Amino acid sequence: MSEKKWRALDHCDNNSNRNDADVLQAADQSAATEQESFEWIIVRDSEDVEVQTTDTQAAVSLQLGIQVAIAVVISITIGDTDQSKAVVQDLKQFMRTKQQNTQKTVIEGSKHVKVATTDTDVAVNIQALLQILLAIVAKLDIL
Amino acid sequence: MSDSLKNSKVLSDKVIDLLVSNTFQKNGVNIDKAKKKLTDEQKQAFKELVEDLTKQVNSFVKQPSSKQENSK
Repeated sequence: MSEKKWRALDHCDNNSNRNDADVLQAADQSAATEQESFEWIIVRDSEDVEVQTTDTQAAVSLQLGIQVAIAVVISITIGDTDQSKAVVQDLKQFMRTKQQNTQKTVIEGSKHVKVATTDTDVAVNIQALLQILLAIVAKLDIL
Repeated sequence: MSDSLKNSKVLSDKVIDLLVSNTFQKNGVNIDKAKKKLTDEQKQAFKELVEDLTKQVNSFVKQPSSKQENSK
């Protein structure tokens, strides 16, 4: 892996980030989480390599599930009013997170290698969102 | 990194509680009134939903680290 190759990938990342952010901001109203994964795993001149990585799709689904649950519980308890919209809007400010997974893993000239990568940012964000939901339902005596 | 993953709560409960309380208060939400709007059926449905989401989050968070241990 030469220096040039890495620069090329980084450049790629930057371009995609900007495009994704614009699109998501325009379209996403109820759940403003921007999450991008640019995880690179390159295996070269190797055999018996096992790679396990974070399921980004599952993470996004989970985040959306929690955010929708928050919006629904507030909509029912406070009603579909300006007040309810303002509460969701305020919470949205906090939930609005932008994160990227830009891990790069290179396996070269190796045999019998097992690699597991974790996207810590995604995991932490999901946990924080769940905490907000739990706090809301606790306040409303649901639990 | 592994420490934050082991701990299922990434932020202190107090901070989250303050955030939620402040948001409700700021927007003039009457919590007691809001509580009454939920029927028992809705409460039960939300309870199940929250339990389900909690399980999913826990298994998602634990998954990668346990795999890592197995591979060692």
